[in-house]
Amino acid sequence: MADSANAPKPSSSVKLVLLGEAAVGKSSLVLRFVNNDFQENKEPTIGAAFLTQKCNLPTRTIKFEIWDTAGQERFASLAPMYYRNAQAALVVYDLTKPTSLVKAKHWVAELQRQASPGIVIALVGNKLDLTSDGSGSGGDADSAGDDSGDARKVTTEEAKAYAEEEGLLFFETSAKTGYNVTEVFTAIANAIPETSLKSARGAGASHAASRTEEQRVNLNGPRDPNAKEGCAC
Amino acid sequence: MLNLSSFVQRAQQLLDPTQGLNLTDSDRNPSKASLFQSQFRLPASQHPLYEITAELTVPPANATQGDKDRGRGYQYAGKLHLSEAYMCFSTTPSSFLQSASTSTSSTFTGQTHGGGPGGNGFTFPLCSIRRVERLHSQNFQFALAITTWNGIGQDAPKDKKDLREQRITIQLAGPRASCERFCDGLKKGLRAGVGNVAKLKKVVAECYSEYLLRPEDKKNASPPDAGLGMLFRYPGDPKKLRDRAKMRLWAEYLRDNGRNVTLIRQPTFHKLIRVGLPNRLRGEIWELTSGSIYLRLEHPTLYAETLAKFEGQESLAIDEIEKDLNRSLPEYPGFQSEDGIGRLRRVLTAYSWVNADVGYCQAMNIVVAALLIYMSESQAFFLLSAMCDRLVPGYYSTTMYGTLLDQKVFESLVERTMPILWEHLVKSDVQLSVVSLPWFLSLYINSMPLVFAFRVLDVFFVEGPKVLFQVGLAILRINGEGLLDATDDGAFISVLKSYFARLDESAHPKSENPKLRAVTRFQELMVVAFKEFSGITHSSIVELRLKNKDAVLNNIESFAKRTAIRNLGPDSKLLSTQELGALYDRFYTVLYERQQRDHILQQEQAKKAKSSRPKIPDAANSHDDPGIEKGRVGLGPSTSLMDYDAFREFLAGMAKWAVSDSPTTPRRDAFAEKDRSFYGSFRKADTFLSPWGSGPEPADHEFLQRLFKKWDVGSASALTLQNVVTGLARIKGKRDIMGTITYFFELHDDDGDGCVDREGILRMSEALLFLSRRGLEGTLSPSNSTLGLNGLGDGINGSQNDIAGQTINERFLGSVSAFIRRCFEYADPDHLKNQIAEGREGDRREEPGSDELANPDAFAIGDDEDDEDDLLTMDSPTGSPKAPSRTDASPSQRPPSIRFNSQSTLSNNNDTSDRRRVSRAQSEKANVALDPSNPLHITLPTFRMVVLADELLEQFFESSFPASFHINDSLGTTSAPTPTTPLTTFSNLGLGAGRVVGAALGGAPGAPAAGRGLRGVLDNIVTDGMRMAAEVRRRMEEAQRELEKNAVPGQRNDEDEDEDEEDVGFERGSAAGKTLTYGGDAERRSVRSSDRDLLAGADAEASDTNANASVSGTGRASASSESGAGGNGGSPATPGGGGAGRIVGIEFDG
Repeated sequence: MADSANAPKPSSSVKLVLLGEAAVGKSSLVLRFVNNDFQENKEPTIGAAFLTQKCNLPTRTIKFEIWDTAGQERFASLAPMYYRNAQAALVVYDLTKPTSLVKAKHWVAELQRQASPGIVIALVGNKLDLTSDGSGSGGDADSAGDDSGDARKVTTEEAKAYAEEEGLLFFETSAKTGYNVTEVFTAIANAIPETSLKSARGAGASHAASRTEEQRVNLNGPRDPNAKEGCAC
Repeated sequence: MLNLSSFVQRAQQLLDPTQGLNLTDSDRNPSKASLFQSQFRLPASQHPLYEITAELTVPPANATQGDKDRGRGYQYAGKLHLSEAYMCFSTTPSSFLQSASTSTSSTFTGQTHGGGPGGNGFTFPLCSIRRVERLHSQNFQFALAITTWNGIGQDAPKDKKDLREQRITIQLAGPRASCERFCDGLKKGLRAGVGNVAKLKKVVAECYSEYLLRPEDKKNASPPDAGLGMLFRYPGDPKKLRDRAKMRLWAEYLRDNGRNVTLIRQPTFHKLIRVGLPNRLRGEIWELTSGSIYLRLEHPTLYAETLAKFEGQESLAIDEIEKDLNRSLPEYPGFQSEDGIGRLRRVLTAYSWVNADVGYCQAMNIVVAALLIYMSESQAFFLLSAMCDRLVPGYYSTTMYGTLLDQKVFESLVERTMPILWEHLVKSDVQLSVVSLPWFLSLYINSMPLVFAFRVLDVFFVEGPKVLFQVGLAILRINGEGLLDATDDGAFISVLKSYFARLDESAHPKSENPKLRAVTRFQELMVVAFKEFSGITHSSIVELRLKNKDAVLNNIESFAKRTAIRNLGPDSKLLSTQELGALYDRFYTVLYERQQRDHILQQEQAKKAKSSRPKIPDAANSHDDPGIEKGRVGLGPSTSLMDYDAFREFLAGMAKWAVSDSPTTPRRDAFAEKDRSFYGSFRKADTFLSPWGSGPEPADHEFLQRLFKKWDVGSASALTLQNVVTGLARIKGKRDIMGTITYFFELHDDDGDGCVDREGILRMSEALLFLSRRGLEGTLSPSNSTLGLNGLGDGINGSQNDIAGQTINERFLGSVSAFIRRCFEYADPDHLKNQIAEGREGDRREEPGSDELANPDAFAIGDDEDDEDDLLTMDSPTGSPKAPSRTDASPSQRPPSIRFNSQSTLSNNNDTSDRRRVSRAQSEKANVALDPSNPLHITLPTFRMVVLADELLEQFFESSFPASFHINDSLGTTSAPTPTTPLTTFSNLGLGAGRVVGAALGGAPGAPAAGRGLRGVLDNIVTDGMRMAAEVRRRMEEAQRELEKNAVPGQRNDEDEDEDEEDVGFERGSAAGKTLTYGGDAERRSVRSSDRDLLAGADAEASDTNANASVSGTGRASASSESGAGGNGGSPATPGGGGAGRIVGIEFDG
């Protein structure tokens, strides 16, 4: 992340929680985002792991306080402890495993009903590197149409349609290659309404909200240019 | 009989959902046995049989020992205990008295220094005792010299001097009689233990101590498996850990005090544990202090057997395990190898099989991986068992309630011991468990560097779960200042993270004192934990657990409920959230209560069994087992499946019709075999504890079975909540009559081909009767106009008589009979052949002939209504009504009966034969349809048409059937004793039904045409009224004559007691059976004679109206519809009848 020392932009922290089935790559996404690293055999998260990472936006700096939760079903009852007061959530599924999308939908429903109102939710299909359209080398092959001969079991269309229906941000990522990972967090940072930020200045709140709306549309729509940028760095 | 009354009390307490639901007796008042087991870490099979004050003398040994007592050795005063297979000695006072609670036993669990739970002393398996001699002592006391099999794992040394027998003496202090009793018990136990010596040998051979203490010249044999560490090195720097020195100290201690099972605990033992175990002995000492070695001793081959038994099988747990295998302590080289991963896989898998309720929980992989560094697979397997059962109960269960509970306990301990920090946490809205939960769940293995985590484990296994709390509190205390500066979760966590990373650094780096400087942060942590927080005892933990348990379970349950309801899928959206919530509660309440009852009954049985066996008096105390709590959702669903009986109970709580009519007679005969065996086991206890608890006894009816089968989508013979919700949603959710009709049809469409055959039709009508017998609910229009409409079809309700006297429920019976008739009328033949036959005139001409024979019996079974019929129908031009009713089970019944007997054993089917008779009389076409040689079926559209043709039926499907499931409100009948609930059955109606028939028969001719509209026209299509009437009359007379000739009483008396419809089914079965024997050939004449017999029986019955109400009731059903048709036919004045006649006539004439 770029150095923000020279420009004292308003900075605020955002509590973000990762939810999703076991072994879909929640921790790996975080590790990629925070340390730009990938571990093949990441220890399962017990309870939850906590990490922080800053995200620089043109107008402000967002400090993510990331709660990476355990994925196993029986840990679900612990989740409320972690998504309490969360302003953003990353609901992750494994796009080679349809059941993980079902679980993701459950989480979305849980969050919509139980988490703080106005929580920004992003649906993330991880392990794109296992698909033929995965961006293992450059990340410019984002044509989700052709599924032949790869491990993909959840089509982009299906997940995207669901995300649109529920008003979620939607991404397909690869924590392994790093493809689209930063984009997810940037998009979330942009989607957080300034009013809900802890250190948000009082002025211009409504203005910020409308701006966020624009952003949201942008991010939801043509993903390709974003993606290319993301992989360049 | 004190036992009994206390049992009843307990049963009441358990069955009453408002009290004592969560905190069971065993929680509040642990049994002597469980306290004994936990003090000495013994398996659940052990009970304290004898106990006596004693003094233990251990012979003097090397100077490394503690306080030496005048060269005589070391003496300890304490208590000696004897269980089935163990002799234990402890210096800490044991207080597992009847009234003892865990808190009163704090003395032995509370001390951090010295004792540990077992205190000083020993825990000898009786099979490890080689010899017991009684010593002569001066003061006439009992003194025993005990020689053990210490070192049994070794080959006998050639030189006798090498053999150092372990020999201790125990002075028993107490009255002579009790000393003798103890010795007798010991003798018995020793004798029983002899057989286990071989087992013992095998078990100790896996202990590293056996190898360690072997003389140097015999060490060429490969050492026992002391974990992956032997292959991949143990974590940490052995030099830094001073492993060699520790090993020497332990070798010495073990040489002097016995090894593994024959080890004697002296103060040095506990001190040696505190400074950290040497790598190669770590596994063995863990096994010993946790008591898992006794589990292994009890069943040494369990691990291998389990793996072999389930080899190749798959499970959800295994899938989950596979996901984590590559990521369990991945930094340890052993788990980067196939060997290590294989071990981990096998241990976790084996455990998931033996404890399927727990299965696999993330964090277990880490814990087991840690264990496997120091011990063999089998040792790790048993240690995992001991942990899940005793040390960290509920931590890894499916709801992880133990974890959450201990977090609450930890929080309250922090609040109590560090109020300032606690206040700060509350103020800054930091949730403590967010940090501390992983500490507990993975026993610090994941939080601290491994070497330190293992040191914590060393103490944890000997002193129990309180260690986790003490260490946790110490961590917070040491970091207090840093934590007070932290204002959010993030800062809080990072303070602790950096602390853990620097545990090996000096705690006082700036100190002048080099000794102080040498103290590491970890050492400081241990000192703070066990000195400063020595007040945290096992009992304080237990108390706090007890206090918080309810709240934690409630939390989990509300989360589980919320989640479960949300995840029920699209079908569940048809029901309201409130309804879903109520369904959820009902579902789990039934399962929970059933388990509770089951448990109580089993316990009672066990108690009985025990009291019948004159055994050791002390042993008679209840062994509480944790199973008493099974079923509560928060504790982890021990079951979430509803079997058929539970399903019945579930429905009986919601729907009137699902309540049994004869609750006092448990008729298990009708049950499937598995049910019978299930109930057979506690049938005796029925007398004072109904197997259905306080609720009403549920009915058992074919309809219930069908519903169960239909809901049981996966054919698992059990329903999940999902199944139940989906099933109910389809009935209740849509409120759409077409949907309900379709559902009902599909329920009876066995092969799913869209056709319901003859039997199916009859079953449907049975189901309708079953569902309506306690009255209909929902919106039913009782208006006259409806009545008129409704009555038209069957001619029952058509007359004004009916309007005056009938209830809706009575009318419904008429609707059902009309339903049967119409079904047969509109049914499609199965085969082309039949269609051809129908088409040909000649055939049809013949059919009426057979109909003549059939007709009389069609009027049949209503025999006991005769009198009313007489009164009401005398004026009927159709002819004497008495005759038709008397004719009863007539020739035409025969073919169907035969068929049922040969084809089906379903009791209900027999009932159907009556109905079939009914329709026989209806029309010639129906007659054809009835002929079993002409298979027929109705399709959904036909069924729908028939239902919609009758307003009452229509209303039934539109509202009363869906409304009969009371999800939210409680059923009135639940509390009221069932017999008081009025049943609307043909039998119960008695007079009413008689009147119906009478009215139908007699009223029809004079009935005004008023009120007959469309429906009449519809019905016209069906019957040829005129012709029918003539035939009916003729046959009635015939039948009457027959009847008079053949009145043989008493034929069916044996079946008289049966009261409800189900029984009718049975009766019919036997009746049909008789029919079969009487007329083996299908000739009409023989049919007649057999029927005569039946008739005779029926007649006898008729004279005893009350007794066989149900029989005649069903009969009446057919009779009423029959007579309805007859009435129609007999009254040309009735437009309906006339119309029908016309149209059918047309058809007949070709």
